[in-house]
This record gives sequence, structure tokens and C-alpha cells, in this order.
Amino acid sequence: MDFTSSLYLGFVTATVLAFNAWRAPLLRQFVLLAANLVFLAGFVQSAEQLAPLLGFLVLGYAATRWVARWHRRGVLEGTVLLIIVVFAVLKRYTFLPLRMDLPFLYLQVGLSYILFRILQMVIDSAGGEDEARLAPLDFVNFTCNFLCFVSGPIQRSNEYLMNRVQLDRGVDEAVAFSAMHRVIKGYVKLAVVSAVFNYLFANLSVPVLAESTAMAGWRYTAQYAASAVTYTFYLYYNFSGYMDIVIGIGWLLGQKLPENFNRPFSAHNIFEFWSRWHMTLSDWFKTYLFNPLMRFLADRVAAPIWLPYLGVIAFFVTFFVMGVWHGSTSVFVIYGLVMGAGASLNKLWQVFMTARLGRKKYKALAESFAYATLARGLMFAFFALAVTGLWVNMDQLSLLARRLGISGLMFAFVGTALCAAVIGPAVDHAARLLVRLAPRLGRPGLSGLFAQNIVLASEVCLIFAVGSFFHKAPEFVYKAF
Amino acid sequence: MRAILKQGLFLLIALAGIYAVLLAASHLFVGAAYREGGLDSSLAANTIFMTDPKYVFLNRAALKPGMPRIVFVGASNTAVGFKQREVQALLPDAEVDNLAVGGSNMTQIAQIVDLVQELQSAAARRRTTFVIGMWYGTFVQDRFRWNTPDRRAGDTDIDIERYRYGFYRRTEHGPQQVLPAADLPLGVALIHPYLVFDQLSRRASQALRERLFGRAASRTDAERDSSVVSAKEKETALRYWREQMHSDGAIAGEQFLVLSNMIDRILSQGSKVVLVDLPIPHWHAQRSPFYQEYLGHRKVLLSELAGRDGFAYLEMMDLSDDLEFSDEVHPKPRVTRQWAARVAALITTVGDIPPESRISTGGTLIAGQP
Repeated sequence: MDFTSSLYLGFVTATVLAFNAWRAPLLRQFVLLAANLVFLAGFVQSAEQLAPLLGFLVLGYAATRWVARWHRRGVLEGTVLLIIVVFAVLKRYTFLPLRMDLPFLYLQVGLSYILFRILQMVIDSAGGEDEARLAPLDFVNFTCNFLCFVSGPIQRSNEYLMNRVQLDRGVDEAVAFSAMHRVIKGYVKLAVVSAVFNYLFANLSVPVLAESTAMAGWRYTAQYAASAVTYTFYLYYNFSGYMDIVIGIGWLLGQKLPENFNRPFSAHNIFEFWSRWHMTLSDWFKTYLFNPLMRFLADRVAAPIWLPYLGVIAFFVTFFVMGVWHGSTSVFVIYGLVMGAGASLNKLWQVFMTARLGRKKYKALAESFAYATLARGLMFAFFALAVTGLWVNMDQLSLLARRLGISGLMFAFVGTALCAAVIGPAVDHAARLLVRLAPRLGRPGLSGLFAQNIVLASEVCLIFAVGSFFHKAPEFVYKAF
Repeated sequence: MRAILKQGLFLLIALAGIYAVLLAASHLFVGAAYREGGLDSSLAANTIFMTDPKYVFLNRAALKPGMPRIVFVGASNTAVGFKQREVQALLPDAEVDNLAVGGSNMTQIAQIVDLVQELQSAAARRRTTFVIGMWYGTFVQDRFRWNTPDRRAGDTDIDIERYRYGFYRRTEHGPQQVLPAADLPLGVALIHPYLVFDQLSRRASQALRERLFGRAASRTDAERDSSVVSAKEKETALRYWREQMHSDGAIAGEQFLVLSNMIDRILSQGSKVVLVDLPIPHWHAQRSPFYQEYLGHRKVLLSELAGRDGFAYLEMMDLSDDLEFSDEVHPKPRVTRQWAARVAALITTVGDIPPESRISTGGTLIAGQP
């Protein structure tokens, strides 16, 4: 189901009305179950295409039961390994040496996010958390929640249960307005802002990736950097717009979904960036990969002097896995390596500077305007260039590498960083000014529900106007990851 | 539930109110979309429709009923080569419309013919002559021509316009009409604010697009008349068409079949057809691997069509002087009167033109002598 289609809007409207027609929690749960199943059915043409996903869910459900029953480390490790192997087979990773593809077409959308939920429940169940072992109806509604099915946010089972116990709550006028406001804001980001950046990116990147192009030298480098930057904004507005939509719909369905973005381009280092971008994914990796890995490494290294360097290794592994997770082809291995290298270099820099200046002085330096501004620019440039891995295939990547060379890549990086360092704070300043001015712009008598709805309706008009202008709404880009 | 319904209702009322204001303002300040006289898609950029596919799809409601009609369809060389006003001057007793759309292949040309016929009564169809401009570039297979990132695979530019404002809906069996053809003027009036938005956006961003994406600004007639195609431009053009055709010289029969079926449909409705083999510069015909292949297909097609009532064929390759073209396919403005005279002469022999308006020069009539 396309998120910008009238079919999706109709489906959501019907679900919201059916859900709110009842107050009884069990009935509401069945409405959600029906909606989840209809949503899933929209992706397939036959039951056979759903079978592998259902098998994966059954495996996950059984696993949460058996790891809780046999409290042994070996059982947990074996179970996690089994789930990851089954996932890798279903995901059809082309870079793995041994492939065991199922010989038919089946639904792969949502698999990655189901994996996160299942692993969380299995690991937490083994840790003795009762909230991680859900009843069958809750298990299906949690793992296949149509709001989070395609690309998150990655809800935890305890968060799901917190929503579930409040399922009999009604929606008041303030929540109804806020929810619609959030949904429309999401569509503005997705269908207007990301569509504009997608248009720019599509036009700018053609000569960059063309086999025969007359462009060369600094012009080619600048065109590549512009393509990378426009893709980065496209990705951000596309993904964060989608999040606004599902979070807003969630409010009308008694679900408080976790936030996934918090001004990521204001980050000053890669760790801060990932605590602001796809936050639930970073948080999941921190809890279920980085922390256990750090504990594992720390147990084996006695000398405290080496502890910061263990962080370098753990960050490399975590960011590498996060990068590889984004796709199933070898270009995502390169992307993972770049992300891993960036994270470990950033950590090494922090270790080096702390050792050289001391914690206090380094903190003061990091907070100084010049350092923070430059760091922000460097962070943006690193991310924009790293996500090149998401818009090229292996052949195009090698073509890019040949044409740019080390010097071209460095020029693109430094140029983008300097531009971002100048433009970022200026945009922040303008935004702050707008926030201060906004209340003064409202005329007396034009406030309240009427004015608010006029603003919302204007945004809807803009969505339709830009939608018809571009005639094809941009794909929800993270659906592919 | 009540709060949700109330909020939804407020939003709908606000939406209706804002749209009513925008509709009134756009009609008040920009004016109606249609204009009197024959249609000319080469002027689309000067109208509220801005692009030739949108102009053809939405503006066809301005086709005046009653008069004998000559409708030119084809790709950009048909639009550029047969200037509506020049042909109209030679055929004053008919209404001449040029609905050629740049980049068309035969599939899209057939769609345009269907769109015109959709609006016509049986009597009006019998008084219509379609002039179809062809050259090898109009025979690019659909799977290559209509497969770009900005569209759903297979959608032609006309399909995009059909779906853009919901006048058609997408089905498994192709586009299905939502708005009846008779209500097209009402539909266009209702989407007027969107047309204005589109126009303003395109005009405002034109300079930026030319600069950012390296798109050349359109040349004036004087510049095109004085242009000389360089050796490098010739190489680029030959390479471009090899990429477009996706082969080293072969042309699949798919689009010739589409053309043949289109002609059958037109003739079965009582309309007439003039098939024009458009000239390309001599150097292009000599060096393109596709031209000889095209001639082979053309020969087979013409042998099938020979003797059909209401069908005529016009060969124009004698106008292939290199110096009369501003690029690899488009004639210079200074020769378009000659093109117009050539086609007008033939039309008078097959079209629904009163004898006093007929001209008798040029043209190779191979079938359908009245």
C-alpha cells in the first residue's frame, strides 16, 4: 500500500473510525488485528507469499517461550543465531558466500523490523522480563503493527504493553487536532519537501552517474557533492515525514509510538547524530549489540587504560552492522565499513583529545562556537557523503571513485563541510526568529479552532498542488531497507 | 469518536473554503484556460498548460465542432515543421490543429488520436483528417521510451496527464475514464488553481533549472536559422539515438504495428489519414544505422495500406538538405512554409476541403484517390 495513495488514506480512515467506534479494549485489539492483516495482505498476491513471514513469526513466538523456560546462556545464543540465520536466508543477502534462497517470490518488506522486535523479546525473555513474553494476539499486533511494520519506529514490547493497558481511552479534541496536525505535517514533509529534493537529486545525479559525461574536474566534484546533499535532505524529509504520519495516526489509535528524529543535522559528532537520527534503531543497537559487546570485551581486557580503545572497536562493529543492515547487496558492506570507520575515527579523536587536553578543557573546546560549528559541518558532510552507498550500485560506486579520486573526494568533503558549517547556524537562527515572530503574526479573533484548521487546510492544498505538479509522489525510501 | 469527526469536519469545511477562494482568485486574475482558433501544441509554454502533453490533454476541449478539421499528430519535428498558422493560412476552410507532442512514439500518437476522437461525434469524425508525422525516432519501443525514474514504467506523457488530476484512474487494464469527455471544460475550470500553481512554479524556477541542470534555453527562430550542426554535435546525436533505440541498428516491429492499427481505427471511423515520412538531414540518414532498417519496415507498411480509401502517403525526403536543419531532426524555421505547402497540397486531395481551397503541388498520393 502506497502511503500517499487514496487507498492508504481510506484504509487509515476506516481503521480509525472502526477503532473509535468501540471502547472495549478487546474489541479494539481485534480491530487493530484486522487492520494489520489487511495491511499485510495488501503486499501479496497469494498466501504462499506470506508463508515465510508467518514461519518467521512462529519461530519468534516459540523462541520467546523456550528461552524463558530454559535459562541457559547456550540456549539464548543458539536461538539468537538461529533467528539471524533464518532472517539472512529470507533477506537474500547477495554478498554472503553461502546462499539458500527460497525458490519463490515472497514478502520481504518489514522483515528487518520484525527481526528487531523478535530479538528484543527473545533477549529480554531470557533475562527474565515477563513483559517480553506476549500473548498470541498481542504478539501479532506488536510484531505486525501496520504503523511500524514497514520502517519502524522500533517499539519495544514493554512500550506496546503500556499502550495496551490504556486502550480504552477516548480521543479528546486536543488530541484529535494534534494527531491530524502531525499527520498533515508528515505529508508536507513527504509529498512536498522530500519531493522537491527528490526532483533536484534526480536531475543533479544523472550526469554524475552517466557512463559518458562531459563533466570533469571541480565541476564534477561540485555536482557530486550537490547530489549527495540533496539526497540527504530527501532521505531525511522522506523518512521523518513518514514517522510524523504514523505517529499521528497512532495517537488516534491509542498508541504512543516512540519518536525517531530530533534535528539530526544539528549534531556535532557521529554519536550525537545517531542519537538524533532513526533514534529507535540506534537505541536498539546500543542496547542489544554495543553494550553486550563492550561487556564482552571489557571482561577479557584487564588493564583500564585500554578501555577507551575497546569503545573504538565496539563502535566500529556496531556501526558496521547498522550499515550492512540497510541493504542486501555488497555496496551496503562498503557503506557499513564507511560508517564503522567514521565512528571509530570519531571515538579515537575523542580519546586522543581527552588525553591531550584533559576532560574539562576538551569539553570547553567542544562547546566553543567555532569548534562546534566546524564539527557540525564535518558531521553533516560525512553523513551526506557516506549515504552515497544508498543511491548507487557497486558499478556506479567504482565509477564515482575513479572519477573523483582521493583529491575529488576530499574537495567534496571539505566543501560540503564548510557550506554546512555556514548555512546550518544561519538556518537555526532564522528558525528561532520565526518561532519568536509567529505568535505576533496571529491577529486577534483569528485564533482558535478556525485559524488552526485554516492553516491545516492550506497545508493540504499545498500537498495536492505539489503532488499534482510532480505527478508521482516520491517512494517511501526506507521501505527498501 | 465525536472529537475525531468534529475535527475532520472542521478540516473539510476549511479546505472547501480555501479552495473556493483560490478558485475564484485564479479565475479572476489569470482568466480562462481556453482560447479560440486552431490548437498549436508548440505554443504550450505560452499558455496556462505550460507543457505540450498537458496542453493536448486538457485543451482539446477547445476543438471547435462543425468545421472540417486537419489534426497534425507526431513528435517534436511535426510540431516544429508544420506550424499551425502556416498550414492554416493554406487551408482557410478547415480548422487546422497541431497536437504533436515532443518525444512521442506511435503509442503516444495513437493515444492523442483517441483523445481527439473521444470528443467527436460520428459526423465530426468523418470530416477529420489526421496527418501523422513519422520518422525512425517515433518507433522507439514502449519499454525503452516510457521507462524513466520520474514515471511508473509504461506510462506515456499523455497517461501522466490523464492521472495527474484524477480525470482517469489507473486500472489493471489501463487508464479508465473518471470524468466524462463532455465534462472536460468543467473539470479544467475546477482545477484552474492547480494550473496556475503549476505555471507559476515553472516560470519561477525556469532560470534555476537551466542553471542547475545545464538545460539549454530554447533558441529563437533567428538563432535556429543561422545554426550549423558541428561534427561533435552530429556524433552526440547519433550516439543519443543509439541509446534511445536501445540497439545498434535494428528496429522492432512493435511500433509499426501500433501505427498500422491506429490507421485502421481512424479509417474505420470515417476519418482520413495522411501519413507523412518526415525528412531528416542527409548526413543523419546516411550515418544512422536505423534509417535503412526504417525504410524496410516502411515499405512493408505501405504495401499493406495501398489502396485503402481515405489514406494518403507523403514522402518528403527530398527536403533533406543538411543546411535546412537546426539539429539532427528539426527543420529550420525558414523552410517550414515549404513543408506546409507540401502537406497542404496533399490534404486537399483526401481531406474534406472545398475544391476552391485546394492546392495542387507536390505530394505522392499512393492510395485513396477521390
